[in-house]
Amino acid sequence: MSLTHLNARGEAHMVDVGDKAETQREAVASGRIVMRPETLALLAEGGLPKGDVLATARIAGIQAAKRTHELIPLCHALLLSKVSVDFRLDDAASCVHVESRCRLAGRTGVEMEALTAVSVACLTLYDMCKAVDRDMMVEGVRLEHKTGGKSGDWHRASEDESATREAFETPSVEIAAIRVKLLAELRERLDIEEVEVPVASLKRPDVASLKAALEKQDSRFAALSAARILCAVNHAMAHDGTSLADGDEVAFFPPVTGG
Amino acid sequence: MIDVRVQSPVFDVGEEQRQLLAGRHDIGAVVTFTGLVRDFNERPDVQALSLEHYPGMTEAALRDIAEQATSRWPLDGIRIVHRVGRLLPSDPIVMVMVASAHRRAAFDACDFLMDYLKTCAPFWKKEHTASGTYWVSVRDSDARDADRWEEA
Repeated sequence: MSLTHLNARGEAHMVDVGDKAETQREAVASGRIVMRPETLALLAEGGLPKGDVLATARIAGIQAAKRTHELIPLCHALLLSKVSVDFRLDDAASCVHVESRCRLAGRTGVEMEALTAVSVACLTLYDMCKAVDRDMMVEGVRLEHKTGGKSGDWHRASEDESATREAFETPSVEIAAIRVKLLAELRERLDIEEVEVPVASLKRPDVASLKAALEKQDSRFAALSAARILCAVNHAMAHDGTSLADGDEVAFFPPVTGG
Repeated sequence: MIDVRVQSPVFDVGEEQRQLLAGRHDIGAVVTFTGLVRDFNERPDVQALSLEHYPGMTEAALRDIAEQATSRWPLDGIRIVHRVGRLLPSDPIVMVMVASAHRRAAFDACDFLMDYLKTCAPFWKKEHTASGTYWVSVRDSDARDADRWEEA
């Protein structure tokens, strides 16, 4: 058994999983934040100064899962198909249990996303409640189970630490690629925030070919071809003929409504 | 000369003007537009507004608009502040401040800047109302307003 993120010289590197088969992947992680009973009561009745604590922590967890690759150095950007974050208030243990479930069809596991979602949801709960309780503790953040992939299914044996060594799984995607971002209403409607596309996979290195390649990959991207959808390349307005190279940032968004 | 900012905290128009005018004795006119959150828009009873933007491009777009204004009018200073995040009715959203030796250039440039900001800068509004939350749709009148400045 070796660590997949270290190469022969022991240096950190991203694992190339381009040859691995795409399968349905799911991971569930959990954790808890222990607090004083008075804090838990305030949280339950919505009496904390920063407002709806659980709703905020849920969004924070979901956002964090989508941004895991920005936080964990050798983690790839993933096109998650589902992220959920759920809470259970536990009066007996005076804590909030947090559970996250992440899913995608791909070549890489989603346990880092699930663990990140739980961690950030717990930190957000801390932030939202710290005005009344600084003693809170985030505890027991762990993977519960994962399914799919070469290493197959894994479930936490009850409190069996040795099983966690099986849990290593390798992520995907090229580092040098076009970064595609969807913004505002478009991102919410398609439920896609960011993907990476290597320029070598395009028929021609331009925006029109990028749209075609994305649509082939996932029919939701057909929405990018609507006349009202705008496109920017490296922060400047662009059009179908604008040429692209690896490392470019391409954004698609609806007409602007600021001011 | 050009100062553009995207921020969530509230801005202070008086303080912005003091900074714009500091040490200057050649400015004869300052025109400021401040945009506020209304409690009615596509639907009545707007309770809050969330503003999203595209970091990096937003600042570049605002600066570009400001540079276009300085090439069309003799201006001595431009400050643009646009807020993002969650805002409540009556909160200020945007401020465009233009200084010039004479008022006509300042009035026209301020008008131009707002028209272009509304059609070119990557901001999106989401309205939270008693009857639901939705992304604000584009107004055709904003595009027509911006078209007024197209040079023949």
